[in-house]
Amino acid sequence: MDAATRSTLNSKFYDVDDFAAAQEFYHSNGWTDGLPIVPPTDKAVEACLEWALMPPDQLIGIEPVRAQPITAEKLAINAVMAGCLPMHFPIVATAWQAMMREEFLLHGVTSSTGGCAVLVIINGPIRLEIGANATFNALGNSDRATSVIGRAIRLALINLMDVRPGGIDRTTLGHPGKFSYCLAEDEEDMDWQPLSTMRGIPEGLSAVTVMAALAPRQIMNEWTRDPKEILETFAAEMRANQRHYSIYGGNYAIVIPKQLRDIIQAAGWTKRDIAEFIHERARVRRGEWADVGKGAIVRDRPDKIHTALDSPDHLLVIAAGGPAGGFGAVIPPWMGSKTKAVTAAIGACVDCEPPKG
Amino acid sequence: MVLRVFDPTHEMKMAGTQPAPRLSTLRGKTVGFISNGKEGTKRYFTELERILRDDIGVADVVWRTKSNYSAPADAHIVDEARQWHAAVTGVGD
Repeated sequence: MDAATRSTLNSKFYDVDDFAAAQEFYHSNGWTDGLPIVPPTDKAVEACLEWALMPPDQLIGIEPVRAQPITAEKLAINAVMAGCLPMHFPIVATAWQAMMREEFLLHGVTSSTGGCAVLVIINGPIRLEIGANATFNALGNSDRATSVIGRAIRLALINLMDVRPGGIDRTTLGHPGKFSYCLAEDEEDMDWQPLSTMRGIPEGLSAVTVMAALAPRQIMNEWTRDPKEILETFAAEMRANQRHYSIYGGNYAIVIPKQLRDIIQAAGWTKRDIAEFIHERARVRRGEWADVGKGAIVRDRPDKIHTALDSPDHLLVIAAGGPAGGFGAVIPPWMGSKTKAVTAAIGACVDCEPPKG
Repeated sequence: MVLRVFDPTHEMKMAGTQPAPRLSTLRGKTVGFISNGKEGTKRYFTELERILRDDIGVADVVWRTKSNYSAPADAHIVDEARQWHAAVTGVGD
């Protein structure tokens, strides 16, 4: 650690007998997600801070509702526990900065009975540096980097915001993304602009987007070469979410793997074209609720049209997934537009404001 | 081999929050309900209001609903709550 960043860690420390003892100590204190953790030693934590050029007491941000300060040191401890290497830490820190923006509604999305997880999408050169795999198993265990980055997000929520089941976290069901929910975009195999660029980050910068997200809903359509028919299947899944879960518009993410992506791109469709089509097609009439057992809340507005997206800009189009299979995924929002996805550049301040509060 | 490991939590709890003094009685008091607006709150608060008025004898029951069920109460509700003797709020669907 050089002179500019040299500092001792400020956190309380404990001496444990060995690796196994560390496991029981952390589990018994409620500091884990139920899985084994990497013991956060000073050497490992300081290595993360040094890589990110952050002193331990650097303020990553303040969670606005509970006025909870999040420091680099505490985030790094949780990142190490998750299995992060130093090169993963800047992404974890930036994701947390984005999560603490007021429009993300961090307290609301993490305490709600709705049970969403924080979806993290990585763009830019950093994906290649960390070995993130945007192809096979993109929404599963695709690689070490995305697995541990996603896990670090959750561990820090548990430990720094007390988001524990039955505590602050009142989730009824939840989904496996609450262990880790992170993917990289397959920028090398697409004609489109990266997600981060679509959302305002200059091309060439590494960036992370966070979204309060439900579980992915897989669709399949390998029987057409018409982009409209392919995207109609995505829209149909969004309509189903509106009928079965929440009718209200918000950020949806769709993941388009290579087989379907190549067809759509070959027809000259851009991400903007996709978003405009989906915006038009993903909408339901309120009266449709009566078809799925929700007649009681149709009330006197059966003909009111609800759009899944308030505007095409609210659709996050992500190119990722393995090379074969006419599959795609729709990732619905937690609940309408009460939370908004946030995109932040990693290591660069594109639109800086002083921290609020 | 002894491992020195670090605390991943906030060790310092926020200072300055103390529970309000407990009331000796609710009779003659004003009680506020802060609803999150979910469907299930209506029957619950309706019955609770009946109990408070008929069985306990509160002076008044004030209903307020948050504008966002997953965010803290709006500032104007928090300000108004200072005029109440007690408030009922919580988690529910």
